[in-house]
Amino acid sequence: MNLFKRIVFKLYVLILMGFTVWYGMFMYPLIFGFEGKEEAALSLQELGDGVAADEEMFARLIEEQEHTSRTDLGFKVIEQPYIEGRFHHIGFSVQKDQTSMCVRCHGNIPHDKSVELRSFMNMHAFYLACETCHMPPEEGQPDHEFRWYDKDSGKLVPNPRALHDIEESYRTAARIYPTYGNYGAKIAPGIEENGSFRLLHGKKDMLFVERYISEQGRLTPEKKSQMERVIHRGVSEKPIECKYCHNDQDQFLPFAKLGYPPQWTTELTNSSVVGMIEKYKEFYIPSFLTPGIDEGAD
Amino acid sequence: MSRYEPIIYKDGKRYFYRFSVHQRVQHVILFSMVLLLAITGFPLRHAEEPWAKPLYDFMGGTDLAPLIHRAAGTVLLGLFVYHTIYWIVLFIRNDLGQLKAHGQLNFKTGIKAFFSQEMVPNMRDFHDIVDAWKYLLYFTNRPPRHERMSWREKFDYFAPYWGVPILGPAGVLLWWHDEVTHFIPGIVLNAAYIMHTDEALLAVLFLFFVHWYNVHYAPEKFPAATVWLTGYLTEDEMIHEHYSEYLRVMTEHGLEDEIRPQHFGGQEYEL
Amino acid sequence: MIRRYSHIFGASLVAIVSLTLYSAPVVADDELDCIMCHKYRGLSRIDEDGEFRLFYINQELFNSGPHRRNQCKDCHNDIDRIPHKPAVKVDCAQQCHIVEPSGEKRFTHESIAETLARSAHGKLDAEGNPKPFQEDYPDCKDCHDQPFYRPVSVDKGTIHPGVSERAVTRCKSCHKNGDFAEDFYEHVTSRLRKTRFPMETIENCAKCHQDPEFRERHELDDVVTSYKQTFHGKLIALGSEKTADCLDCHVVAGENTHLIESQSEPASAVYKTNVPATCGTEGCHTQAGPYLAGFQTHVTYDREKYPMQFYMLIFFKGLIAVVLYFFLALIFFELLRRLFPNFTFIREKR
Repeated sequence: MNLFKRIVFKLYVLILMGFTVWYGMFMYPLIFGFEGKEEAALSLQELGDGVAADEEMFARLIEEQEHTSRTDLGFKVIEQPYIEGRFHHIGFSVQKDQTSMCVRCHGNIPHDKSVELRSFMNMHAFYLACETCHMPPEEGQPDHEFRWYDKDSGKLVPNPRALHDIEESYRTAARIYPTYGNYGAKIAPGIEENGSFRLLHGKKDMLFVERYISEQGRLTPEKKSQMERVIHRGVSEKPIECKYCHNDQDQFLPFAKLGYPPQWTTELTNSSVVGMIEKYKEFYIPSFLTPGIDEGAD
Repeated sequence: MSRYEPIIYKDGKRYFYRFSVHQRVQHVILFSMVLLLAITGFPLRHAEEPWAKPLYDFMGGTDLAPLIHRAAGTVLLGLFVYHTIYWIVLFIRNDLGQLKAHGQLNFKTGIKAFFSQEMVPNMRDFHDIVDAWKYLLYFTNRPPRHERMSWREKFDYFAPYWGVPILGPAGVLLWWHDEVTHFIPGIVLNAAYIMHTDEALLAVLFLFFVHWYNVHYAPEKFPAATVWLTGYLTEDEMIHEHYSEYLRVMTEHGLEDEIRPQHFGGQEYEL
Repeated sequence: MIRRYSHIFGASLVAIVSLTLYSAPVVADDELDCIMCHKYRGLSRIDEDGEFRLFYINQELFNSGPHRRNQCKDCHNDIDRIPHKPAVKVDCAQQCHIVEPSGEKRFTHESIAETLARSAHGKLDAEGNPKPFQEDYPDCKDCHDQPFYRPVSVDKGTIHPGVSERAVTRCKSCHKNGDFAEDFYEHVTSRLRKTRFPMETIENCAKCHQDPEFRERHELDDVVTSYKQTFHGKLIALGSEKTADCLDCHVVAGENTHLIESQSEPASAVYKTNVPATCGTEGCHTQAGPYLAGFQTHVTYDREKYPMQFYMLIFFKGLIAVVLYFFLALIFFELLRRLFPNFTFIREKR
């Protein structure tokens, strides 16, 4: 017991010594705080000194952290991601796709070739997995099945509730502004085999890509090309076109099965959307439809 | 003072007198006001920190917290004035009174009496500091021996007794900034601002570590010393912190035979 | 824009409910139906300079501000079809299609642009020559994002944020049509106080005035940091709206917020002789003595500019450091002594 007491005593003394050292470090910025600020300012200045404009742009893009802006109206506070130079408000943050193997390299905003269409493509990329359009079933193969998966966990989820909220907003004259596109989930193709469903891109493919990224540094250029070719296997020369879904006859995506309510489906397949596509077909540049393999892979 | 026995016995244990009820009440007012001032002041000093706003809101937000801060400051400043009168009265009544009764009161003895008050630093403290460092750096196995008030306790005492007259008037100036600028230049407010915030930092950092180490964190005190409530020290505390006084008091009470050897913080040491 | 028409939907619903219940989408009201695409959160791209460009419009937030009666085309007047090429930058000084009710003219922000042009933030100097570092001078969008209404209400003598249903109900006893009463109420009461929370104003000025490179180019002190060290700055950081932000002291008396002058201009609110009047503004230091103006607000602790503050700071920092690190060392060694209580270099006899 005496020994135990002595051990506890020494232990407590050691902890207190640790606490004393910690307090000394804790105090330092409190006492000499103003120096830290100036140093920070100086180091920032150094970063900006004497580099070419493109280097500076690159450094800024890398250093830049995503931050939020806060607007306090008194009766409510609006917090949203801050985007430099943006006039209109966003109002909410989005769930980023953590599980797509394509996004791992190509990012969440991959389309940039066609001036007229790139933003539309990116808009669709928000709730459609890349393989939905870029890996259609080859000739003679059975059609894909489509399901929603969670952007965060990658697990299959039921059809988003938000789709019904949108339908509700059509039925009421009240001021309801549903969120379009931000469902926290994406539609992805898969194959129905022996009664069980598996996504075209599974966990295994993601691990493969992760491994490739982590070992990229020691691969020879030839090896890299080989690997990239394998990773992009199945990516079609001809991606799905707008009209495959936006038509009133036979849609590539089974809207009803994916939880799209009737009136909204009609809106997407029948009226204004299709009209727009038809009306402005001169903007539709077929040469844009090069294989996804080149798309943004630079 | 005569109301308090220098040594009392309870459950067979010996206790040594330190603080009168009067002093203990002053201490309670002092620490409650200081804590109140700290939690209504520091969120303002560090307004950009994430903890500042919740704490300030808890203390009544930007409307109420300043009022609490000023009220507590007023009480503390009042306590400072009261305490000054208190020790002057004690000094005149006890020290000078004694001298007068013995017919020895003159300028020289008066000055000497002033510097022998228990909270006033003197040469002995200097020697005690040297002794303490000698012991702490393993140059001797003899722990420092302190009289009734050790130099560390004098520091604890003068932390607020120097702090309040710096913080208080500066705080008053900042409080009545509109009114006082009819008479004094605005730059005095700049000075008052620095005095108030930086002295407050010193006071709080000192309180939370040094003073709280002395009475809370130290292994033999943990979790808390009781002298501020009871007014009496245990024999062990007395031996550890005030061995000179211990020897003196024990001798005065004819208890030479029961004097225990010195130890340091509850640990017996070998001579 | 949606609110403006929703009453029409309401009316038509009542009239032809059985026929068109499902064919009156709330969203399609602008000529080009911009919102058909711009309501999607993912409508975005990366531009040639690597900047993220988002084209999403949050209709709910759009309708929470004074621009809600504008159509997209009122500002983006270069867009005439969809899909469209990248839009031209909006010129806020152009006339829009809203008719300004007091003068029956088409509305424009031109007068604000003129005020800004003759302020310290204008791009030209007094002689009409371009000031150096043109790109540092702000346009509308550098300070303003889409404005919000910040309505206030007075109920039973207490003022609180938000629309007062009671007040709007009173308006609506006569102004029954649509959202006119709500619009008018928010339009007026938002102007009874600042349209932005003070902290947002400060962060807004900080975008340039706290940037070290910007300050070096224009030889300016770090006024934002020094402001945040004042009681004004601290109280605002803690949520107060009662104390002065940048604009309260720096806007020329009697002018709108866009006329801010350099402190060296005699017209400036912070010109030496104007400071007492500025401090004594109604609602601020009305009881203050003349010397309050001598208080230095933007103290940078620069040794040359603010010697008193600099040396006081050094004194106190020195005092704090010496006292505390002395005691910290003492306690540290005292604890260390307890670990080896019986060890000593020199053993003394009792």
